[in-house]
Amino acid sequence: MTAFSHASMKDSAEVLAGVGAGGDPLIVTDVSKSFGGLKAVQNFRLNLPPRGLYGLIGPNGAGKTTCFNLLTGVYKPDQGQVAIGSRSLVGLRPNQIAAAGLARTFQNIRLFGELSVVENVKLACHLRTTHSMAGAVLRSAWQRAEEAAIRERALALLQVFGLLDRKDESARNLPYGDQRRLEIARALATGPKVLLLDEPAAGMNPQEKKDLRKLIREVREVFGVSILLIEHDMGVVMDLCERITVLDYGVVIAEGTPGEIQKNPKVIEAYLGKE
Amino acid sequence: MASLQDRAKLFPSSPVGAAWRLCWPILVALGLGVLMQLVVRPSIDAYSSTQILNIGIAIILAVSLTIVNGFTGQFSIGHAGFLAVGGYVAGSIAYYGSFALFGSGGAKLGLLSGLYGAPAGAPLLSTGDLLFFGSLLAGGLIAALLGVAVGLPSLRLKGDYLAIVTLGFGEIVRVLIQQTPQVLMSKEAIEESPAWKVPFSVGGSLGFGNVPKYTSHFWVYGAVVLTLIFAYRLKQSSTGRALLSIREDEIAAEAMGVRTTYYKVWGFVFAAFFAGIAGGLYAHTLGIALSPNDAGFQKSFDIIIMVVLGGLGSISGAAIAAAIVTYLPELLRTPATLEKFAIAGVPLLVVGLALYAMAGPARSDAEKKSGRDRRALPRFLIGLSVIIIGLSVLAFAARRFSINLGEYRLIIYALALIVMMITRPQGLLGVRELWDGALYRPIRDFFAPRVGLKGGA
Repeated sequence: MTAFSHASMKDSAEVLAGVGAGGDPLIVTDVSKSFGGLKAVQNFRLNLPPRGLYGLIGPNGAGKTTCFNLLTGVYKPDQGQVAIGSRSLVGLRPNQIAAAGLARTFQNIRLFGELSVVENVKLACHLRTTHSMAGAVLRSAWQRAEEAAIRERALALLQVFGLLDRKDESARNLPYGDQRRLEIARALATGPKVLLLDEPAAGMNPQEKKDLRKLIREVREVFGVSILLIEHDMGVVMDLCERITVLDYGVVIAEGTPGEIQKNPKVIEAYLGKE
Repeated sequence: MASLQDRAKLFPSSPVGAAWRLCWPILVALGLGVLMQLVVRPSIDAYSSTQILNIGIAIILAVSLTIVNGFTGQFSIGHAGFLAVGGYVAGSIAYYGSFALFGSGGAKLGLLSGLYGAPAGAPLLSTGDLLFFGSLLAGGLIAALLGVAVGLPSLRLKGDYLAIVTLGFGEIVRVLIQQTPQVLMSKEAIEESPAWKVPFSVGGSLGFGNVPKYTSHFWVYGAVVLTLIFAYRLKQSSTGRALLSIREDEIAAEAMGVRTTYYKVWGFVFAAFFAGIAGGLYAHTLGIALSPNDAGFQKSFDIIIMVVLGGLGSISGAAIAAAIVTYLPELLRTPATLEKFAIAGVPLLVVGLALYAMAGPARSDAEKKSGRDRRALPRFLIGLSVIIIGLSVLAFAARRFSINLGEYRLIIYALALIVMMITRPQGLLGVRELWDGALYRPIRDFFAPRVGLKGGA
């Protein structure tokens, strides 16, 4: 089974137009966060342009996922700015940040296990709906129309991600690779400008990793989103990312193209230690 | 950006369809209500008709708790508090309202009200019915307001801690009701009492048995239909998915843009509203005297048992479990009926065992992959027959040693729960619904082709 079908993406283009709505850069300036005396992240900065595909790497415990949590509002930064375009995200709740156009996946997969695959994606469309709760219970004409549009979008996304034939299965029963793909599909269904992927290749075999690389690239092309990914697999990172930020002990120690990063002595030291 | 709306506009929508979707639940509720009241009730004996009424009220309660415990996964164990609030508010309004309107506290039944029907010549809809209907709504709304008050702490608390808060809520309601002054029995007494005190004169720990007895199969089953349709529509909507996502994974739900705090409170409000309605219906039932204990944790646990047995999150499961849990103690009181069940249980067991033998070996790899289980149907039949035979043996033993099984209903509940949690922790239907084919699925799987199962690629 191919992970990702370009033909079907074209078929669904009409439905999926505007699902991802790029156009604004993600600008992070000097974000810091301490937990008690521990300085988890210090002066983190990033400038992710529209349609950019950037990477965030670093040894275990360097603070990569903390950075994601700071960007998505799980933690509130002690200082610094996070903005999409001119809209500041600091102090917003995670759901408001999702509405502002920042969607994420999780390192340890967090699907809605008991819900079916298609319901997982449908749920992510929730924040783009405009009908009221009364409309939902009374089944107003507008609720029905939006519900139909949600279903259409969810099915189109599942088709693109090759999950259409498993749409009615419980999400928890999917194989691991499918769960990772479903998480990306779900994140895209929120209509993001920026997609944050937390270790999308974790636990995948070489073939799945190859499919994943293709998939991430095509997601960027078709949906026009910018992507920031945390990844431990250097093959994936170096191949995919245009620019890479390296964190160590919560501090940005390097930033540059994959070529520059590979030669950077500080990065080599962080990963391999001093000679 | 607004592409979802742009797409939505392409789907045809007709005002006629919308009006129909608004009206048919009400028509079905009226239809079933009239059927139950004018056809079913007169044809059965008084005892059974009370049972059927109680089952209806239990269904409303269980489904309402499903919204908060099952959908949003907020474990509330103070649900009886809402029941009592709805009951007392509705009862007080109807009782003292009757004094204000008719000069006495008695019921002015319309054609469709009253457990044993209305007296001859009653109008189709009396003023008393309207008062009753208004008091039900008021009880539901006040309970819903309290739902906000209980829902708000749930924003900060989870799991056990929230459970303790809701438990506390139920106990507060119980104690407050205990402190109320005694019921004012006459017009004179009402006039002498300070006006503000009148609505709160609901009898304290002595109970409030004077509520006019309007509740009938019409009102109860009308409310059952509306509650079920409400819960179904809620579950099958964007709002319902938002509620369910909170249960599944709150962090992910929030990251996907769900306003978790907002929906958690709404979960409590919906649940409290319907519990309040159920309370109002209960308060107006012939033979019932509301008492502060109706707000107690024992009553709350009765409702939780229904929801857990039915399957957390399953509307139909909760409704079925409500019927079983309400009827079982009554069945235990009449062992003679129960013993007859063995006659049905034995052939069922034989059929189940035969099918089990036919189903072949335990799940093969192909079966596991397809998610189908040929042994599900035989297992279900054997389980059902074992329960039936077990109950009849129990009834026989009880009669032999002249034990009143009804007195042991809590022990039997507890045992049933333990057995259930060991053998089927997800409850009767799990998160599925009858309309998902939960009953049909095992039958389909049993007759599925043996080799080369579909989807084995």
